Amino acid sequence: MTKLFEAENVSVRFGGLQALDGLSLEVEEGTIIGLIGPNGSGKTTFFNTVTGLCRTVGGRVLIDGENITGLQPRHIYQRGVSRTFQRSRLCLSLSVFDNVVIGRQNSLDLTLFGNLFRRRRFVESVRENHEQVHALLSTFSEPLAARIFDPLHRLNMIDRRRIEVCRALIANPRLLLLDEPSAGMTPDETHEFMGDILKVRSDHPRMSIIIIEHEMDVIQRVADHVVVLNFGKKVAEGTFDAVVANPWVQEAYLGTS
Amino acid sequence: MAILLEYLFNGALLGVIYALVAVGFTLFFGVLDVIKFSHGDVLTLGAYSGLGAFIILQFLGLDIPFVGLVIVLAAAILVTGLAGIVIGQFFVVPMRGSPAFNILLMTLMIGTAIHESIRLFVPNGANPKAFPALLPRTPIDVGGAYLRLDSLLLLVLGIVVIVVTNWIVRHTKLGLAIRAVAQDGDTAQIMGIPFRRIVLATFALGSMLAGIAGVMNGIYYSEINFNVGVLLGVIGFSAAVVGGLGSIWGAIIGGFSFAALQTVWVLFFPELSGYRDVFAFATIIVLMTIWPTGIIAERYSERV
Amino acid sequence: MPARKLIASSAIALVSIVLAAIIVVSEEQWVIAAALVGALALSFGIAKTSAGQDFAALLQNSGPWIALLIPAGTLAIGLAFHEEHFALMMLATVLIYSLACIGLNIQFGYAGVINFAGAAFFGVGGYTAAVLGNTGLPSLLILLAGGLVAAAIGCILILPVLRTKGHYAALITIAFVLLFRSFLEVNHTLGGPQGLRVEGATIAGQELFMGIEIGSFEASFYLNYVLLALVLLTIFFLLARFLEKSWIGINLDSVREDPIGAAVFGVNVAYWRIVSFVLGNVLIGIAGATFAMMQNFIAPSNFTFQQSLLMLAIIVLGGIGNLWAVIPAAILVVVVPEKLQAISEYRILVFAILVVLVLRFRPNGLFPRPMRHFRREVGQ
Repeated sequence: MTKLFEAENVSVRFGGLQALDGLSLEVEEGTIIGLIGPNGSGKTTFFNTVTGLCRTVGGRVLIDGENITGLQPRHIYQRGVSRTFQRSRLCLSLSVFDNVVIGRQNSLDLTLFGNLFRRRRFVESVRENHEQVHALLSTFSEPLAARIFDPLHRLNMIDRRRIEVCRALIANPRLLLLDEPSAGMTPDETHEFMGDILKVRSDHPRMSIIIIEHEMDVIQRVADHVVVLNFGKKVAEGTFDAVVANPWVQEAYLGTS
Repeated sequence: MAILLEYLFNGALLGVIYALVAVGFTLFFGVLDVIKFSHGDVLTLGAYSGLGAFIILQFLGLDIPFVGLVIVLAAAILVTGLAGIVIGQFFVVPMRGSPAFNILLMTLMIGTAIHESIRLFVPNGANPKAFPALLPRTPIDVGGAYLRLDSLLLLVLGIVVIVVTNWIVRHTKLGLAIRAVAQDGDTAQIMGIPFRRIVLATFALGSMLAGIAGVMNGIYYSEINFNVGVLLGVIGFSAAVVGGLGSIWGAIIGGFSFAALQTVWVLFFPELSGYRDVFAFATIIVLMTIWPTGIIAERYSERV
Repeated sequence: MPARKLIASSAIALVSIVLAAIIVVSEEQWVIAAALVGALALSFGIAKTSAGQDFAALLQNSGPWIALLIPAGTLAIGLAFHEEHFALMMLATVLIYSLACIGLNIQFGYAGVINFAGAAFFGVGGYTAAVLGNTGLPSLLILLAGGLVAAAIGCILILPVLRTKGHYAALITIAFVLLFRSFLEVNHTLGGPQGLRVEGATIAGQELFMGIEIGSFEASFYLNYVLLALVLLTIFFLLARFLEKSWIGINLDSVREDPIGAAVFGVNVAYWRIVSFVLGNVLIGIAGATFAMMQNFIAPSNFTFQQSLLMLAIIVLGGIGNLWAVIPAAILVVVVPEKLQAISEYRILVFAILVVLVLRFRPNGLFPRPMRHFRREVGQ
């Protein structure tokens, strides 16, 4: 197994609040890490730090040995890190297709000349991209793929989550960060969605995933390795069973001691 | 030396007027995270209401100094306070979920409607109007410098108003509620604070400050015109931003800094005084480039 | 598209052109008022009926040929009333303002970069035309220069606009338009408050202030400017349409809707804001230069903050981001106050109130921008 991602001693501060306090975390290629912890323990801040939205005050973030600390979000994206958001950040007025294809920045022709004056080539590239987006959507849900030119605001919650994941997957990332994908879903929808995630994993065996989740059965089902955060620090880590056996986790999560 | 004192004094008076406008912007931004760009024109409205009240007083033969000032100020405060409530209730609060630019554009257009109405419907409204001297203009000799008594009184008035406003926000129940809403509107609502009423009270308070500033501006220049609010609004907003939107002291410091810069310009380049406004706007652009979120940084959190 | 729908859409297009012609040409107050009421009814019809929806879809989704509607309508009106100076001047003004507002739409409608200094960049174009008018440069080059100088001066504002977020960027453009006006008023090299004379355009040896005469056909010289503005508008309308329906268009939309989300997916937010600001200013500058040449004269009082607000009123009333809507909205804002004496004095008040009401109750405007899709391109 090769190490894909590494956070070394990462610290983040918001004014007087120590949001991340010397957090270290390693991710091997092709594994799924479950990141759990109470509200405010720094899980989302960790994602924001990795994707370049939060500044660190200490520590480093490495992908494939390259230091990406302090890079701009778009440069981090180019290095193969993509994510979903807990509160969906899709463009509601745009179509499903537009929302997903935006993730293919690096392979689109973005020159003024190409877009304005070589329309025939543009139409060809629309067809290619349509095929790709359609194929990706189909692996999640055929009916959704048929709605590729529907405006996003007409879609329900689970389909929006799927679009978010598709947008994150369209450029074949090496590290996928999922921020509470089941938030706002019914148990049935959550179950269905987890099936999707496992499918993603079998389709992209070399991709690593870090997933933040409150539903413990989701974590149990998908995660190879679990990391527990509290007050920005790692308090436990290991397989699901080992972590659940940890007395601190039992107290914090399961209400028993 | 005497000349310098006069400049300093006039700069301070301008600073108080700017600060009053800036504090209004800060209050609105605090409670609703919106920029209410009609603020400058509400100021104009206040000045014209004061003028209207004075004309009525004159008609009744009651235009006595000081008493006249009190009634003129009361009229300006009443009208601007009402205007603030109406704009808040019917236009700004219902637009809470809309893109910030829509609110900005809308309040700008409301302001335009206000000053256009003044231009069109006040008799001879397109021309500047003489503003009554509500305070004695007696010159006072301070170490060789001649300061006008009315300006001195206005300066004191402005400082008192600012101190009172600060006291209201810091030490009264209303102020506590305003600060709670500014901190987190949703939580404040859950805690039983009547959100809408507090927002409207803030709008009224901020607008009243503009009304007072409008009357002060009128007395100081002895003249008002329908367009005075546009310039004062832009300067007041910039002062609020430079002071870091959301902090009352920042707004006050911002207001005084702007006045200081303008005074210094006239002092050092008297032959270029025609370019005073050009310089003021250029300063706004430059300052905002250097401190995009204010010298005293705004509590800025990106909600991800 | 089935024949029945095509006929219905053609009928709507025809009625629109006829109403536009009446408003632009007629001098009778009650006729103009009636045409306005008709236009209002038509806009509701387009919004609410299925035939109207088909028409909107046709405008949005057809190939580039659909842009021919603009020259077709303009030429029909222009040739039918080729001797009416005032009507033709109004027509040319509508085309010029439409061009400028397409620029504003690229900035605000697509990328979400608000520009309250539209009148200033329009003025920069105009003053460029005035200064270069005597140098003997070809007029078309001067027009282009107007656009480029406007864009270049706009570049001064790029850094502040990029560094500041949201409201502050708006303040900077407001400060700039006020600065521009004050500067022109006190600066005597550019004519001060009196303004400057502008050389009219000369294209292919034909001086545009001479009306065309062919046999018994004698046209007002304003027809020349209608034609010039028409060519410019049609070209830039098409380019803006291509821009909207391109990878760049998707990027601009994502920058407007959610800059943080866009940045996380690799979008270069700052770059696209700059591109939209510069492109928009080029269009506004070209429009300003054309306007100045037609008027033969410019003064600072043409380029006030109020003018900027009127330009924004055009895009907000029409429908933010909808290119087609710019034209009817420009007729409403530019022509109607000149024609209807009842409101001419109150125009700014009327449009300010209209914009407030539209933002409050119908924020997408009279003709909301349709969503972009590629059904035709992928053969669905």
